Amino acid sequence: MSLQASTDARSAVAPGPAPGAGRAEPLVRLSGVTRRFGAHVAVHPVDLAVHRHDFVAILGPSGCGKTSLLRMIGGFLEPSGGTIEIAGRDVTRLPPDRRPTNMVFQGYGLFPHMTVRQNVAYGLRIARVSAAERDRRVEEALALVHMESFADRLAPQLSGGQAQRVALARTLVMRPEVLLLDEPLAALDLKLRKTMQEELRGIHRSIGGTFVFVTHDQEEAMALANRILVMQDGRVVQEGGPTEIYGRPATRFVATFVGDANLFDGRRAGGRVDLDIGPAFADAGRDGPVTAVVRPQAITLETGPAAAAGAAGRGGDRIALDGRLVDIVPLGPSVKFLVAVGDREIAVTRTVTGPVEPLEIGSRVVLSWRPADQVVIAGGPAP
Amino acid sequence: MTLRRGPLVLLSPAFGVFAVCFVLPAAYFFVVSFWQVRSYRLVKETTAENYLRVFTDYSGPLLDTLVLAFIVATTVTGFAFFYVYLCRFKAGRFAPLLLFAAMLTLFGGYLTKIYMWRTILGDSGILNASLITAGLIEEPISVFLFNPVAVVITLGHYLVPFAILPLYGVMHAIRDDPLEAARDLGASRWHVFRHIVLPQCRTGIVAAFTLTFLFTSGDFATARLVGGPDASLFGVFVQGQFTQRLNQPMGAAMAFTMLACCLVVVSAVALGVRRAVAYR
Repeated sequence: MSLQASTDARSAVAPGPAPGAGRAEPLVRLSGVTRRFGAHVAVHPVDLAVHRHDFVAILGPSGCGKTSLLRMIGGFLEPSGGTIEIAGRDVTRLPPDRRPTNMVFQGYGLFPHMTVRQNVAYGLRIARVSAAERDRRVEEALALVHMESFADRLAPQLSGGQAQRVALARTLVMRPEVLLLDEPLAALDLKLRKTMQEELRGIHRSIGGTFVFVTHDQEEAMALANRILVMQDGRVVQEGGPTEIYGRPATRFVATFVGDANLFDGRRAGGRVDLDIGPAFADAGRDGPVTAVVRPQAITLETGPAAAAGAAGRGGDRIALDGRLVDIVPLGPSVKFLVAVGDREIAVTRTVTGPVEPLEIGSRVVLSWRPADQVVIAGGPAP
Repeated sequence: MTLRRGPLVLLSPAFGVFAVCFVLPAAYFFVVSFWQVRSYRLVKETTAENYLRVFTDYSGPLLDTLVLAFIVATTVTGFAFFYVYLCRFKAGRFAPLLLFAAMLTLFGGYLTKIYMWRTILGDSGILNASLITAGLIEEPISVFLFNPVAVVITLGHYLVPFAILPLYGVMHAIRDDPLEAARDLGASRWHVFRHIVLPQCRTGIVAAFTLTFLFTSGDFATARLVGGPDASLFGVFVQGQFTQRLNQPMGAAMAFTMLACCLVVVSAVALGVRRAVAYR
């Protein structure tokens, strides 16, 4: 299954139960958690509630403070302010070995002088779990990640994907209240990453744990999480389910960072929005600069007689633009068209279902979309 | 097989130098060690007599030297381990400065350091002068210099940078992720050190010990200059056989005996360290 298709499917069908809605006391509660490095604020005050069985993604570009936030939950970084509670206990000042969390590190952090079995057994050994119980749980954890046959290998003899599995088994064996994953799949190649994503989903489903993971990959966040926190410059800019984040981005940043989007600057006055690029449409709200966000797959591209008639000839129910086809990018399950409108280039994608009719580069086209398929965000481009 | 010829060709100059400058002379002296000297002439009679004499006449200095070398090597390796550990895990951004400071002592030569310690520990040295100024003693005392302790201090000071290098090599290679992962899995700071850090330092510890042990067991200049009569290292006697007694076979036999003893000690220590630091 391609990810493009899966993303589409998820935006159409809401996944799982609504996060946090009407449920009991959250398992993890962050209140005003802040982190400063000297004068630099890496994480502005964050409030977050993670419930049991949640699969939360902290999503953002590198340097947005997402890893700092995760490390504060794990106890590797002390917050400069705020409190962290896990299972009703204040753990803000507790070291990692005294928290009911376990972390899968970005570099895996396997012990290079130990075998796979010793790696996985390590936490149980420290916890003085009896040898029989230890062996049983280690076997169980290795089976969960399909690594039974590698139990006696040394850690450096493993490939990236295998090391990833062992790192996962080593934390799962501890049965943590909360499993933290720091860019768990970032070092894997694309195909392996997809496989591991599916396995992670499967593991989360079968053990019913609470997972919090950090990623810069929006597709990964969408594919795994039932709740996503989008971070930018140390602040949480939007929080919600994947469908909500993708379908109703709160800011221009979220719109472009989570999935592709065409942004159209405009101005609203008296319930009517005039886009700088031409068309206008009715939209209630406060007067001022706005941005219309249109996903590439929401735009219809027409050629031939329709194009000859021009945007003005389209019906009034759609927002339409005249353009010229600049490039065609085949993506496999879909095709991306780049269309020049004035000095702008607009991306349009179309799912491939059969043979693609030949289109000539340079030909005139009409782009159009339904007002219902766009999201209007208050605020224009950053000054 | 053709693939392996390239490296061999490239290595041959080094091998050549090694063979001509080390293997050949060593082989020559190994053969000579079984010969005799009569009236200052080399007699080619193969006998084990020289080796027997090493044990009857020189077992005292041999044993003393091995014990001294062991003490120097253990002390220096221990100190260097502590120093490098601080640099790697505690010093943060000052680590390069600390390492540079340690390496700085290499700029003074070997003899410079010996004379430096003579100046510090001698009758008119800084130590005596300060004690007199402090009113603790009235006249210079000679207990500091010309004893085994002076040898340990002088050699130790000289050898610390050589022990630091291999230890820094292994500790620098230890990654932070596994240490954090261990803490995350419930390990205390001591557990992290014992289970994660120490086992990964094994080769560095053995290398540091071996370097310092071999250097000390073959040394003779330090013993001469700061050791005094009680601290005559085996090397002094070997040197004497070659330069004063002109008895090459005896000198060679003594040298090879020392070599064999060193091999035994170093192998035993390597095994011991392996067992002691292993993760079990």
